[in-house]
Order: sequence, then structure tokens, then C-alpha cells
Amino acid sequence: MDDCLSSDEDYYYSDRDSLDGLENEEADFQCAPPKGPSTKVITKESLLSAQKEDLRKVMDMLSLREHHARTLLIYYRWDAERLLAVLVEKGKACLFAEAGVKVVEHQDLDSPSFPTITCDICMEDLPSEETTRVDCGHCFCNNCWTEHFIVKINEGQSRRIRCMAHKCNAICDEAVIRNLVNKRHPDMAEKFDRFLLESYIEDNKRVKWCPSTPHCGNAIRIEDDEFCEVECSCGLQFCFSCLSEAHSPCSCVMWELWAKKCRDESETVNWITAHTKACPKCHKPVEKNGGCNLVSCICGQAFCWLCGGATGRDHTWSSITGHSCGRFKAEREKKSERAKRDHYRYMHYYNRYRAHIDSFKQESKLKETIQERVSVTEERDSRLRDFSWVNNGLSRLFRSRRVLSFSYPFAFYMFGDELFKDEMTQEEREIKQHLFEDQQQQLEANVEKLSKFLEEPFDQYGEDKVMEIRMQVINLSVITDTLCQKLYDCIENDLLASLQFGSHNIAPYKSKGIERASELTTCWKANNSDKYLPSDCGASGGTAEFDQPSGSGSSDESGCPLRKRARKDGLGGGLFDLNLPAEVVDRN
Amino acid sequence: MIDFARVQKELQECSRDIEASGIRVSPKSDNLGCLIGTIPGPIGTPYEGGTFQIDISLPDGYPFEPPKMQFATKVWHPNISSQSGAICLDILKDQWSPALTLKTALLSVQALLSAPEPDDPQDAVVAQQYLRDYQTFIGTARYWTETFAKASSLGVEEKVQKLAEMGFPEALVRSTLEAVGGDENLALEKLCSG
Repeated sequence: MDDCLSSDEDYYYSDRDSLDGLENEEADFQCAPPKGPSTKVITKESLLSAQKEDLRKVMDMLSLREHHARTLLIYYRWDAERLLAVLVEKGKACLFAEAGVKVVEHQDLDSPSFPTITCDICMEDLPSEETTRVDCGHCFCNNCWTEHFIVKINEGQSRRIRCMAHKCNAICDEAVIRNLVNKRHPDMAEKFDRFLLESYIEDNKRVKWCPSTPHCGNAIRIEDDEFCEVECSCGLQFCFSCLSEAHSPCSCVMWELWAKKCRDESETVNWITAHTKACPKCHKPVEKNGGCNLVSCICGQAFCWLCGGATGRDHTWSSITGHSCGRFKAEREKKSERAKRDHYRYMHYYNRYRAHIDSFKQESKLKETIQERVSVTEERDSRLRDFSWVNNGLSRLFRSRRVLSFSYPFAFYMFGDELFKDEMTQEEREIKQHLFEDQQQQLEANVEKLSKFLEEPFDQYGEDKVMEIRMQVINLSVITDTLCQKLYDCIENDLLASLQFGSHNIAPYKSKGIERASELTTCWKANNSDKYLPSDCGASGGTAEFDQPSGSGSSDESGCPLRKRARKDGLGGGLFDLNLPAEVVDRN
Repeated sequence: MIDFARVQKELQECSRDIEASGIRVSPKSDNLGCLIGTIPGPIGTPYEGGTFQIDISLPDGYPFEPPKMQFATKVWHPNISSQSGAICLDILKDQWSPALTLKTALLSVQALLSAPEPDDPQDAVVAQQYLRDYQTFIGTARYWTETFAKASSLGVEEKVQKLAEMGFPEALVRSTLEAVGGDENLALEKLCSG
């Protein structure tokens, strides 16, 4: 017992430490930026800086101008590492050519020798100042360019508008597009900018929009593994991979199937097939509630339960007058047997899944009750000061409930016929199922115990009793945490890893619950956020959320020198002018 | 709005070198949005000797959006629907460039006739035949050219009738004609030897 206690104490303190750590997460990340799990929230306001950050990497690496870097990154779907790999493998020229980047060693600027130029599109002769030459060297009149850009923007091609010349792969300079389009359709130019900006989210496999409805306007960026669960700053927790609610240890495929199964009435239909027959007259499903095989429908029609055919009303227990179906419908019987069995199986898993979800809801109310109990006990001036064990225990209970409830749909598919029928023999399946259920039951038992202790009205108990409950709660918290981890390990290593067909991945177990994504803080943001909004290029209706200091004060420290300088320079929105190449911005 | 000034210029340009290219574009009616293009079947292909008509309709965004083209003449080709005449050609879709013209587009269609791409088929039946039984494909394509793309030569029915009158069974005449691609003399030779 003593041993147990001391280890509990250890756990208790370490847990508290780690919880503290959780609160200060952001500060930690800023101290050691490249390390640690750093899921980030990208808001409308930080989107630009997030993009700039990646652009800068490529610009520095290849000494490029911003729009070229953007073209490259869009082509490589914002995967700077892949871009680098192509650079190493195929060389700069090939990298640029594939992405449609033409870096000009400027030919004599806009050949002034010809006062007029024939535009090959409209076939008119035009003064050269009404024409524009792009990086690839092709020159057409401004009118035609504008038309071309507008058509492409409307087609949703903003991110890769190519030169008009046939077979010219070059991507047009975004500044040219913006200027020309802006003259005729300023709203269209805005749209264009927004598309470029949002490319960072939509063409990027590391970034996804938060699926909240109504949409919170945020996107989430992950660092490495796409199979993870995240919490957006709007509070929504979701699976990054499939964007539905967090569902581990169920795989995305399983969860999708399960959610659909629960949603539609297929099981009801199964039940109806198994238990009812349609009346031959009114076609309503009729359930036989006992008695002999002559059934009468509420419409008055009598029919034979065995064959479903209409009959007269006179009958004995074993036969109906003037009716002998006699034929045994083996096929139909089998089908209804199967439906009955499937339905039974589904109900088994569904009921348990539901039960844990319901318990979870019940226990959510417990939180308030517990707060009250804590304050009552606190007033009773005792040696009990610290009640974080209750809250920690409660969080543990919630997390474990979640795991438990989702472990049922997992088991439904893992050991059912739908997904892995040919993956394992009946024997293998049974062994695996026992292994899994063993773990699951252990977890279940401990979760229930934990729940029981947390529900104790400890405010009415004496100190000793409270101490005992405290110990039990702490103890059970450790156990359930370990068991959850073990259940995940079992699923990942013993069950899913051996599958040959189809890939099922689950998000790793997080002892501290689903990680909340932190606000993206970069020098760019600290630097510019105040200037960005007014000149906001397209992120329409941006509210001034960014005013809230993002997280802890340490962001100030890191961003301080830059911010001061920027303020002094007072660039007046210039920093956010996408027109300006980054070098210019830098120099400023 | 269609740039009619440009369409007008294109038509002039096209009629200027009609001798060299053999490609003709003319308006269907007063409306310059609907045109008819004519291309000769390329020499050395089963389409040789045929004249193919192509329906052209210009979208509002022309020349910034590609013209819509469709064979009006029936043609047997892996990338052209034998039912509707729809053409599977990249420059008529995403590879269109405003710098292309109706004439250059029609030249590309003509080039497609000489170089089918059975791996990217519009008509799966034709494409399969092309890949599995090239000889039959050539025969059918030639027969279709004979039948549908040659206004001047005798119609198939007349040829069938002519040969049948010589005493060959009609069904055999039909299949032989099809096998040799509609050539009356070759068919006669074959019928006599077989």
C-alpha cells in the first residue's frame, strides 16, 4: 500500500507539472521553435504571414523573387522539402521549367525600337505602351491580357495562369495580373489575391480548414503526421485526416461507415425484414405477435405467415382451410436469419458505444457538481488544500470514456465481415478478438470504478475518507491512462499492423487529451498585423480577433526588435502589398 | 462577347492560303458564332480522299475560351466519337491558348486524324479495335471515309447493287466491300478470287 501511495504521489505531481506545461505550451514552443508537436491555428490574419514564412525559405534558398517562389511552391503544393529534393535531383533549370518559372536576365527593357506592336491575339497593331511583355518574353496587348486573366480567374485557375502563347508553360507574373485586372475589375483583382492567399490552405496537404459550422475562419497546420486529432482555437476537436469528429481508436474508414450506419435506417430495415411480412393487400409490414401461422392485418386481410399468401379465415393450429403452402422457403429463412444475426451484432456494439457516450454526457454535468463540492470542502478549513486531483481525475474519466466508446465501432468492423473478411481465418479472428476484448474490459472496469469514486459526495465526508477517495481516484487515473495506451498499442501493433488490404491508421493516443493548436506567431505577424488588416487583400470581413495577444508574453520578446523597427519605418501598409517583391519589403 | 473583328480577320487569313492548307472555314449563317470547317483527310491514312466537315461554335469568351468543335461528317477514329463526332483533343480543352486560331485548331484536328492516340480514347470501341485488330480498324475507317466523307464517289448502295447485279450474293458483297474499305475494284477482285 505504501509503495502504491508513493508512486501515486509521484504521478500526482508529475501530472500536475505536465498540466502546467500544457498551459504554458506556447511559451515552450517559442523557446525551442523547431521541436515539439506544433499544430498551429492559422487565422485569416496570420494566413499571410504563414505563407510568407514558407515563401521566405524558398526565396532565400534559391535567391528568387517572391512571385517566383510562390509559383514554385504552388506547383509543389507548398511542400518545400519536395521542392528541395527536385532541386537536388534534377537541377535548378528543370525545377523552374516544370513549374513554369522563367527568371529573366532582362532583355533590353521593352524593346523601344518598335513604336507599334502587333498583338497576335486580337491581330491589331498597337502602340507599344499598350502592350505588356511577361517574363517568358511573349508580348500581347493589355486588353487581351486582361480578358485572358479574367477568364482564367473565373475558371478558378488563379493560382496558375499561364502565358497566352501556345505551348508556353510560363506562369504569368502576379503583379502584372493584379495591375491589369484591377484597372477593369477591382473586385476581380481582390478575388485573385484571395485565391493566391488561400492556396496556402487549399493546395497544402499540411493545412486544412477547420470544419466548424458556422465556419470559424481558421485553418490548422500540422507538422508531420496527418493522422492526428487536433483542437482548433474555436474549440472544435476533429480528426485532421478525415475532418470528422475525433474518433480514435477507430480508423477514418471505420468511422465513416459507422457514422453512416448509425445515421441511416439500414438496421431498422434489417429488423423489418427479419420480423415482419408485408400484408398481401395493403403491403404494410405486419409483425406476428404470437399464435398460429394465420395472421390478420389491421386492414382485415388474413394471410399465411409461412408463405405470405392471402388466405381465408378458418383455420386450426396447424393448417389453414383451403391453403397449403408447405414449401419450406430455405432461402428466405436463411436471409432473415442472417439479418437477425447481423442486427443483433450491430445492436450489441451500438448499445455499448451509446452507453459510454451517454455516460460521458451525464458525467459532463458532474463537473459543476464537483466544483461545488470542492468549494464546500475548501471552506471547511482543513489540511486538504489542493483539489486538482478531482479535476485531473475527471479529465481522465472523460478521455477514457471517449476511448471506450469509440473502441466499440472499432471492434464492430475489426471483427466483422464487412472490412476484413479475407484478412484472417476464423481462428485468428477469435484469438485477436479475445485479446482485444480483454483489454477493453479491463479498461471498462477501471473507468466505471473511477466514475464511481468521482461521484462520491466527498464534501460530506471526513478528512480520512476524502483522502482515501483521493488516493483511489489518483490510482485509477494512472491505471486507466496506462490501459488506454495499451489498448491503442494493441490496436495499432497487433490488429491493424498485420492487415494486408487497405490501410487503416489511427491517431496516436494522447494522454493529455487532444492537443489544442496554438496560434501561429511569427515575426511577420508581430511585425505587421496592425498594418495588415486595413489593407487586407481579400480576407474579407476580417474581424479584429488578432488584437488579442496570442498566448503568452514571450511572443513580445521574440518579435520585439523587428516590431519596433517596422513601426519606426512606418511603411503604411506597404509591407503587405503583394505587388512588392520581398526584397523591396526587406530593404524597407 | 466574341471578338468578331478577330474572327473576321481569321476568316480572311484562312481563305488566303486555302490552296496550300486545304482548310476552309465559312460561316453557317450571318452569325459569326456558328461556323463550318472543312479539312481534307490526310494523305497516307485511311481518311485520304475524304473531306470532313466540322461544326464550330464559338463561345462568348472566344478567343480566350476554346472554340467548340465537333465532326459533322461521320468518322471512324479512336479519338472521335463515332456516334456524336465529339473530338478528344487537348488544345480544344485545357491546352487551348488564345494565340491559336480556328485554322491552327483545324490543322491540329487534321494531325489527329494522322496520329490517333488510342490510349486516350473518346470512342472505346474504336480504340479497342485499333489496338487489337489494326487491319480491321484500317478497313472500317476507310469504309467510313468512302461512305460518309466522299460526296463525289458512288454511294455504297450503288456499289452493292452494281456488284450484286454481277451475280454475287448481296450479303457477301457488303462484307467484302467493307473489308476492302469500300473500293469497288478491290472488292470485285476479291469476290472473283474467293
